[in-house]
Amino acid sequence: MGYSADDEVLRGINFHLRTGSFHFLTGPSGAGKTSLLRLMYLAHRASGGVVRIFNRDIAKTRRSVLPGLRRRIGVVFQDFRLLDHLSARDNVALTLRIGRVREDTIRDHVTELLDWVGLGDHLDAKPPTLSDGEKQRVAIARAVIGRPNLLVADEPTGSVDEYQGVRIMRLFEELNRIGTTVVIATHDRRLISQFNYPVMELDHGTFDITGNN
Amino acid sequence: MFRQHFDLPLGEDGSGRFVPWIVAVMVYLATLSVAAGMAVNRSVDKWDIGLEGTVTVEIAASNAAAENAGERMARALSLLRETAGVRSAIPIPDDEISRLLEPWLGQGDVPLTLPIPQLIDVRLEAGTKLDLDALGTLLANAVPGARLDDHQYWTERLSDFGRSVQITSAFIVALVALAGAGTVVFATRAGLAIHREVIELMHLVGSRDSYIAGQFQAHAMSLSLRGGVVGLALGAATLGVLRGIAAPIEGSLLPTVNITAGAWAVLAALPLLAGLIATITARVTVVRALREMP
Repeated sequence: MGYSADDEVLRGINFHLRTGSFHFLTGPSGAGKTSLLRLMYLAHRASGGVVRIFNRDIAKTRRSVLPGLRRRIGVVFQDFRLLDHLSARDNVALTLRIGRVREDTIRDHVTELLDWVGLGDHLDAKPPTLSDGEKQRVAIARAVIGRPNLLVADEPTGSVDEYQGVRIMRLFEELNRIGTTVVIATHDRRLISQFNYPVMELDHGTFDITGNN
Repeated sequence: MFRQHFDLPLGEDGSGRFVPWIVAVMVYLATLSVAAGMAVNRSVDKWDIGLEGTVTVEIAASNAAAENAGERMARALSLLRETAGVRSAIPIPDDEISRLLEPWLGQGDVPLTLPIPQLIDVRLEAGTKLDLDALGTLLANAVPGARLDDHQYWTERLSDFGRSVQITSAFIVALVALAGAGTVVFATRAGLAIHREVIELMHLVGSRDSYIAGQFQAHAMSLSLRGGVVGLALGAATLGVLRGIAAPIEGSLLPTVNITAGAWAVLAALPLLAGLIATITARVTVVRALREMP
């Protein structure tokens, strides 16, 4: 994969994620983790090779089909990417509204989930008034509210304390138990060692998977 | 009932702030243009209806001693009154002819100094298919100097004039619509640039182009409707003022500024038309721009 003809970011990567699997993705900065994640959450189409998601060859998939596939993927961005003009509640509700879910269902689910991530008293707070840890929890709630088939999280515990980090990992495990395939990109070796999941290691041109895939 | 939820903060940026004002000006111009077109058409119709079923017979003045004006008039009247399909044939009195000529010749004993023709006002039976050409020929043969005028030349020119005003009015409305659409394109593109990151995010979480376009088009429609209503109100006020100014000279050939209920319905549709154009333009602009995204 590359952003231009002479700027190749990923090469020689070949892997298959079983439905319902849980993986960590790690590697040094600049190794291409974010680029790999962007391919997985369909922000880019690969310039070469084959990317198959939900049994579809993405390069050959019509553009009009992509939104439906994206709604099956939950993404936690490293920089949160919350909408500053919307409240925490509306940020989380965004994916459901886009999916045309009924407003009363949205209200109930969003309130419950924000309560679960410890933001029950921040429902109407706008992101600029929240701490980084709180923003991260809103971003996670937005990613998981639609019960995605694939969850892709880029450093999801980077801005929260250890207690919240473990709670968030437990939430991901809950989702994984009901069938969501989870990929967590992280630098945090301690976090990786705390959970016994396979690790995809990306290091400037080399790609390995260790552990039970 | 209808509640539009805006995920995009379109109302908070300056991109659309000028749209209502420009649309107001556009709808104002369109209102005046359409009202003028309708007023002229109504006058043309009125004049046309006034001339329908009438012809005028003109008997040219003659210096020949043998020709007695009274005899020629009597012969013409007799011929006309005996013609099937003619309801009445009444000579127009000399003082009425003088009054008709006053705007051009001034007051005075006009008939004494100028060879003024005699005129007959002829009314036809409604629904009669009278061969006016044949009647004209018959008159000309029977009465030297007699000529039948069916006003065709006048009504054709009136009709041409009415059509020209209509075309001009439609052209102005089309130009206004085009300029309005251009304004919406500009504002929408500015909005797309300002909110690029939000739009990208919405794409990544699975938003369809139509969902994002829906937000832009609802915003454009709201701005245009607001501007349109203001433009229509200003147009109505202007028409009211013009009507007040024209009132003392009513009864003349000036088009009347009275707006009928039907005409008001047409004018009231202009803000809706502006809203519709804005909606379609915004949608097309956004969908085209979003196609560039992965």
